[in-house]
Amino acid sequence: MAFFEQEIHDAPTTFLSKYVFSFDHKVIAKQFLWYGIAFLGIGGMMALMIRWTLAFPGQAFPVIGTLLFPNTNGVVPPDTYAMLFTLHGTIMIFYAITPILIGAFGNFCIPLMIGARDMVFPTLNMLSFWLAVLSALLLLVSLFTPLGGAAGGWTSYPTLSTLIGSAGVGQTLWCLALFVLGVSSTMGAVNYIATIITLRAPGMGYFDMPLTVWGLWLTAVLNAIFLPVLGAGLLLLTFDRVFGTTFFLAGAAATSGSGDPVLFQHVFWIFGHPEVYILILPAWGIVSDLLSFFSRKPAFGAKSTALSMTSITILSTLVYGHHMYSGQMSPLLTQSFMMLTMTISIPSAVFFANWLGTLWKGSLRFQTPMLFSLGVVFVFGLGGLTGLYLATVSTDLYLHDTYFVVGHFHYTMAASVLLGGFAGTYFWFPKMFGRMMNEALGKWHFWLSMLGLNGIFMGMMVIGHAGMHRRIYNPFVYEFLQNLIPLNMFITYSALLMGSAQLLFVYNFIHSMYKGPVASQNPWEVGTLEWTIPSPAPHYNFAEIPVVKCGPHEYGNPNLKGKDFQYQTEELVKA
Amino acid sequence: MNEVMSKTIVTAKDGDKIISSVAMIVTLVSFGMLFLTLMMAFAMFRITAPVWPPAGMTRPDLFLPTLSTVMIFLSSFFYTKFEKNTVAGNVDRQNLTATLVLGLAFMLSQFLFWNHLKSQGIYVSSGVFASIIYAFTWIHAAHIVAGLGLLVWLYSALKSADKMTSVKVSSVGKFWHFLGIVWLIMFVTIFVL
Ligand code: HEM
Ligand SMILES: [Cu+2]
Repeated sequence: MAFFEQEIHDAPTTFLSKYVFSFDHKVIAKQFLWYGIAFLGIGGMMALMIRWTLAFPGQAFPVIGTLLFPNTNGVVPPDTYAMLFTLHGTIMIFYAITPILIGAFGNFCIPLMIGARDMVFPTLNMLSFWLAVLSALLLLVSLFTPLGGAAGGWTSYPTLSTLIGSAGVGQTLWCLALFVLGVSSTMGAVNYIATIITLRAPGMGYFDMPLTVWGLWLTAVLNAIFLPVLGAGLLLLTFDRVFGTTFFLAGAAATSGSGDPVLFQHVFWIFGHPEVYILILPAWGIVSDLLSFFSRKPAFGAKSTALSMTSITILSTLVYGHHMYSGQMSPLLTQSFMMLTMTISIPSAVFFANWLGTLWKGSLRFQTPMLFSLGVVFVFGLGGLTGLYLATVSTDLYLHDTYFVVGHFHYTMAASVLLGGFAGTYFWFPKMFGRMMNEALGKWHFWLSMLGLNGIFMGMMVIGHAGMHRRIYNPFVYEFLQNLIPLNMFITYSALLMGSAQLLFVYNFIHSMYKGPVASQNPWEVGTLEWTIPSPAPHYNFAEIPVVKCGPHEYGNPNLKGKDFQYQTEELVKA
Repeated sequence: MNEVMSKTIVTAKDGDKIISSVAMIVTLVSFGMLFLTLMMAFAMFRITAPVWPPAGMTRPDLFLPTLSTVMIFLSSFFYTKFEKNTVAGNVDRQNLTATLVLGLAFMLSQFLFWNHLKSQGIYVSSGVFASIIYAFTWIHAAHIVAGLGLLVWLYSALKSADKMTSVKVSSVGKFWHFLGIVWLIMFVTIFVL
């Protein structure tokens, strides 16, 4: 592939062109970061309200309860409860994790790590952010419509999501919001893919890219292919709601001529399963890199890590049926999907073993980004293993739609991705803002989050295994669930702990932006390209496009004198 | 390394060409998946229905859809001529205009078709076959409108002809031909079969 050098543009001067309508990938990355963090807060508050209701049904939500639910003296009403879990799921996935991992780190890391001056299409990049803002507005407006926001779950299965299940305009706005967000993310994906293919610095082959970039690029590929599938489903659902088509409506004449609610489940999960890999792949990439950086060792089997991530990406398109085992699927199909799903364990085990291999006999530096990366190794290992029980048809029929599922997907998708996102934030903060975050606060943030998070999600697995359903308003009206009251209270206390630990992060983040110690060019002693330029990165990134001469993980080479790493721009030191 | 260094700076034109074709391929894959999902829904309804068209519906008259097919086919044909001439260096507004006019005629035939359906008593809410016909043609027509916008935009791009012009022309062309192919597939599967 030919190399292509972008010219240096003049620095923007006005406030608007510098901070609001910026073409600079680093500014857009920060915009996405703020956007994601804001929604993390909103989604987190919703989670706390859900948890409060489950542990203390009928009691007013503390402090802000009476403000939000004046009609019930601060108690979360049942219909609001359904909106809360729907919007919590939607917001966390599409408006918190996606903007942080893909929007912020994708934008920030890709050009810097491949030695480019910006994305190939800066305008498209800006447009992608502002469409995401439009989408967020649509979603927030939906909360203030007469019958409230969407309440059909983040999966929005018909008939919960058709006019029969939710008559209000909230669900329609939800569909439109997600459609617009899909367009925004697809624009981002086109940009990322084209950038990585065409703008890699001279000398940088695909296997010389940091694994972070590998993760982001596989994510972009999945996004470009599968977001339109969701888009099509949402369009048809919107047509059903607004214009009276009958794609997902099974009427009286169900034998012929009417629509089929299960069709939406297929469409949703054809998109939905790749979506969970869309979320996790960037985190895997970041963690694979950071483990090597902070173990001061080459990433064990970096090539096989990249290839196993690629094969997982491919396999992830073939397994969606495991979400529908209990939907009267033919046994032949359930068995096939089970086998395909199990196949994913092979590449997963490969890169997981590579992580452990990277750590083995390394000289570990337990700085905050490393702690969070190790956290990902732990929670992803645990979450991944619990997936096997859900992939197995016979056990899934019992576990389906219980809190075991909720525990599983929070371990893999929420906890792992969140911790990976924090690792990345602590790690790239110096390059973003030119200052360091506070280490002591970072460590407190890590340990308190780990404690809270494992309390929550481990607890969820236990109550799920004991038979508690997900998406129920008050579990204690069922006699067989009454023994679980103490456990549910424990989970809620853990959630409160986890929530308050995030205040440390927010304080640390904002305080360090202005008052943190000034960062050197390369505070972590890492050799990838973004650390060869000043902190914070200048608006053109590289005064001169670097020429890459070695891989991203060259640590502990015995031939090196005076330091234990080398930059990617340096010729590999030989004896 | 020397070999790498010498390749470092290619003329912007090559770089632009590569970038835009990579981006265009990815974009068309995305659009393709949108329509593929629709076709999958159609296939599922079609295969599982005991009789087709279902629920006692009649098939819509083929005349207008056939007319649409001819229009869109011809418009793509003129676009090819336009592209060939323009890339060769002589800006060819005539064939671009022909493409645009035929594109507009396609839209007109679609409007007539929707009206015709109503006069036949086939409404949006008349069951799943009607749903498919209306929803799919709407979605396709929305893309055609975007394509027409791009065609109009090309006139201004042609005014300031520079080395990016051929890239723009071929990218818009890929999108326009793509919409033609999608229509052809829809025509054959939904209307003819
Ligand atoms: C760490 C703090 C979090 C807590 C305490 C929490 C708690 C909860 C609770 C209690 C539910 C409701 C389960 C039910 O009743 O069925 C839920 C659902 C859900 N959560 Fe979280 N969550 C957290 C973070 C996240 C994150 C970061 C994500 C995104 C990746 C996420 C994604 C979801 C999804 C997709 C659902 C399902 C919503 C639905 O049923 O439609 N959560 N969460
Ligand atoms: Cu899945």
